[in-house]
Amino acid sequence: MKKRALAILMAALTASTMLAVPTFAADYSGEDPQLEKNIKILTIWAEDNDNGVLLNKICEDYQKNVNPNFTWEYEMVASDNLQQKIATLAASNDLPDLFAYEAGAPLSVLIDSGKVKDISEAVDEIGTADYLNSGAVELLKGLSGTDDLYDLPLGLNVEGFWYNKALFEQAGCEVPTTWDEFEEVLQKLSDAGIQPLTTGGSDKWGATRLINAYAVRTAGNDIMTKAADGEVPYTDEKLVAAADKLAEWAEKGYFGEGITTVDMNTAGSMLMSGKAAIFYNGSWFTQNLTDDSQNPAGEDGIGFFNIPVADESVSSATSYSMNCGNILALDNDKYDEATGWFLKYFMENIGNLAMEEQGTVKGYTYDVAADDMDGYTKLVLDEIDKSTEGFAWWEAKMPSEISKTAQENVQPLLNGEMTGEEYMQSIQDVYDMQ
Amino acid sequence: MKKVKAAFRGIVIFLLCMIEIYPLFWMLTASFKKQAEWSEKPAYALNDGFYFQNYSDAWTRGHMSTFFKNSLITTLVALVFIVFFSVTVGFAVTKMKWKFRNAVAQYFRFGIMIPVAIALIPLFQIYSKTNMLNTRTCLIITYIAFGLSLSIYLVQGYLRSFPDDIMEAAVIDGCGIYRLMWHIVTPLMKNSIVTVLVLQFFFKWNDLLFSMTFISDSALKTVQTGLLYFSDEFGSKNWGAIFASVSMSVFPLLLLYMALNKKLMEGMTAGAVKG
Amino acid sequence: MNKVLGNKKAISLFVIPALIVYTIIVMVPVIWSLYYSFFSGSPGLQWEFAGFDNYARLFRDKNFLNALTVNCKYVLVVTIGQVGMGLLLSLMFKFWLRRCKTIVRTLVFFPVVLPTVAVGQLFAKIYEIQPNYGLLNSLLDSLGFTNLVQPWIGQSSTALWALCVMDIWVAMGFYSVIFYGALLDISDDILEAARIDGCGGWQLFKNILLPLLRPMVITSLVFSFSGTVKMFESAMALTKGGPGSATKSLSMYMYDVAFTYNKVGYASVIAIVIFLICVVGSLVINKFDVKD
Repeated sequence: MKKRALAILMAALTASTMLAVPTFAADYSGEDPQLEKNIKILTIWAEDNDNGVLLNKICEDYQKNVNPNFTWEYEMVASDNLQQKIATLAASNDLPDLFAYEAGAPLSVLIDSGKVKDISEAVDEIGTADYLNSGAVELLKGLSGTDDLYDLPLGLNVEGFWYNKALFEQAGCEVPTTWDEFEEVLQKLSDAGIQPLTTGGSDKWGATRLINAYAVRTAGNDIMTKAADGEVPYTDEKLVAAADKLAEWAEKGYFGEGITTVDMNTAGSMLMSGKAAIFYNGSWFTQNLTDDSQNPAGEDGIGFFNIPVADESVSSATSYSMNCGNILALDNDKYDEATGWFLKYFMENIGNLAMEEQGTVKGYTYDVAADDMDGYTKLVLDEIDKSTEGFAWWEAKMPSEISKTAQENVQPLLNGEMTGEEYMQSIQDVYDMQ
Repeated sequence: MKKVKAAFRGIVIFLLCMIEIYPLFWMLTASFKKQAEWSEKPAYALNDGFYFQNYSDAWTRGHMSTFFKNSLITTLVALVFIVFFSVTVGFAVTKMKWKFRNAVAQYFRFGIMIPVAIALIPLFQIYSKTNMLNTRTCLIITYIAFGLSLSIYLVQGYLRSFPDDIMEAAVIDGCGIYRLMWHIVTPLMKNSIVTVLVLQFFFKWNDLLFSMTFISDSALKTVQTGLLYFSDEFGSKNWGAIFASVSMSVFPLLLLYMALNKKLMEGMTAGAVKG
Repeated sequence: MNKVLGNKKAISLFVIPALIVYTIIVMVPVIWSLYYSFFSGSPGLQWEFAGFDNYARLFRDKNFLNALTVNCKYVLVVTIGQVGMGLLLSLMFKFWLRRCKTIVRTLVFFPVVLPTVAVGQLFAKIYEIQPNYGLLNSLLDSLGFTNLVQPWIGQSSTALWALCVMDIWVAMGFYSVIFYGALLDISDDILEAARIDGCGGWQLFKNILLPLLRPMVITSLVFSFSGTVKMFESAMALTKGGPGSATKSLSMYMYDVAFTYNKVGYASVIAIVIFLICVVGSLVINKFDVKD
């Protein structure tokens, strides 16, 4: 409640200042005035990788094609250390102009403290609302629980099960569409002496995603939002059942021995090298799949299916677990007219650029087609096209302390040192303390 | 009987050496592995082939040439000061006669006990207010300050057993304090200086927390930050390249250390004063 | 002699520059964080005066107690292990080793110089169970102890001990070099005399070597102790504090509280606790340092 009240208050405040001094609002309809500006960018992507390439390219294009007086500094930190870096910078009021951050609870802290620019407001001013993918916008607003948008997407991912086609064939399995079929497939694989599942138990989030999968399919797409809002307790029987499901799989040996020591990376290689049949991960996994040195299964060896449906009326087959990965936020104090012009260029062009350069969707509209798209990239685009609804991941709506507990305790759950009920209770306990 | 005993001792020593060398050997083989080898074969298996791509990735993507230079500069400058300060302070608080020497020694010793992470935010603000962020100087100063406590403590340990009669003889010969310090005490402390030097060198060389927090300019970053280029947003890590860059940053130094170590050890044994 | 060693000018020249740097960079931030401990939130983010709330919270915090327990076990095992193994190795060098002294001494020092990330990964691979058996499990498997094959770092019962083994291994070479240096300073005449008096190996160690090595042992214990109390990087590299929070130390918890939970104030309180443990522990160890 406090969060919402603050957001309204802030919106009111910004609105009143705008009313009081209307001349401050710049007019973004004409030609770029080529203002002198140096922006600092802090990200978790290397310059020569993934989003790092895109960000640097778009800055370069902007400088070359539109505003020669524009310069940028690009810095990268490890994703593990992003929060520490941002906390340190925020403490001395020195956040970068543009920075990568985590959507959901971490961003909410910055929003509540008035550190980040209200993107909805900026977008209205510069008139680029049409360039945002409405699905991504809804997703991000939902994550921060605000009416306005406070961050920019730089990715649009679907998640689901990747499977090894050869192993499926070997065990005589079809791609499952319902949850019961899914369980049968797991059993069949296991009977055939194949390890049915693998996950990043040491990275933890890979395992909690599996609880989420079952929870959503049996209790509805918005179950975790409800739990976060206090409408449903975390100890709800459906959530307990979902946690128990994971424990049951581990108990049956579906994950092999010592799954808590396997990281996402190893789990991915296990799938590709045929040591495990099914692996839950997001569409970013394509970058491993398309790398020949990593993927012995080859161009058509791995397939994808969405989380099988338990009850179509609770959660439909076209609703996917979706996320925008790490998002971009803008420092509120450093935002000025020149940043606005850059932002305008960024939003107008990033969608096309990402599609042309990498064949990926970033949460912006695009009207070009990638030149030569490989099979895996195409597969992901098709799945994104199929989606009608999205739901977030397990910890998305949890404040950091709850989220930490939810992740840490998934390991004892997998080890059988904790039951589903104890696991959910431990989450509820932290929730109650807040 | 004696032979059996000797053989047994030989085997124990040999095993010990194996246990200690194995990681280096393993690291080297790991640095030549393709990503897929990590899950297809046990980790102790030898590399299938020599996948040099890892090294070229480490060199170009990890910006090794720049980062190596930066690490070398900051570490070496910091080391010079650490050694200088630890010898002077160590000597002053152990051997010299003055009122507050124990208090000062204790004050420095506190530093060993401070959890580093807690100083990050205040330090950042200090550097930010003095406009020192993003400079080599701030990194060097931090390294010096956080290296002092331990080094002084080590030097003290050696100095406590340092024979007073040598100093006395020197003073009777007419040595002043400064000459005593540089011509008598320091040469005899080679052993402890080497320990401080080597230990601090690798502590600083392996630092990630400080350099990541205080330095944002890629032209000034240090070697360890280069490793960051091989892990991505979703926890995917390119281990081959990581070990390639670790190998590149460690092996030249190890060779240097071995060469240096032998010389210094010889010098030390030759000049050592046996009680 | 006293006049030379009491030279005020020299003393201030020797001490003051280091004192200034150390005070500003190390002590000021520490005192600063003492002040932080009375606030909730992080500077710039929901930063409010909270009085003694953070201190009161400490006693109710289950996670803190858990981290404290883990940390204490670790300190006990690793401190004794590192110093004990170091001592053992140095004695071996002194009495068993005839040739290649320098090389062996250099070799045992190696692990200290490796980046923690590399060491952590190496041991993770040694303890590995999936997708392939690591060195340890393969060994057990091939020797027929198949029931001992287990996820060493994946279960709460063994993870902490597996971590302890790694950290003892990393540092034992370092301590052995320190002790060896001290052993070299003990003259052979003393040892010879003791031998003639009929001292056996153990008696020689207990009656002659240990008293002579005591200052070094105390120094090493203090050093190892203050290092292990701050346990952070190695656990981060091997287990990330898991499974669950079975290997999560005070420093790791502090880091989480400060930077993940955005509660720098409360983290400062935890830092103070770590600091106090260090001070008290060092004082206790130093109590054994009786000067006869």
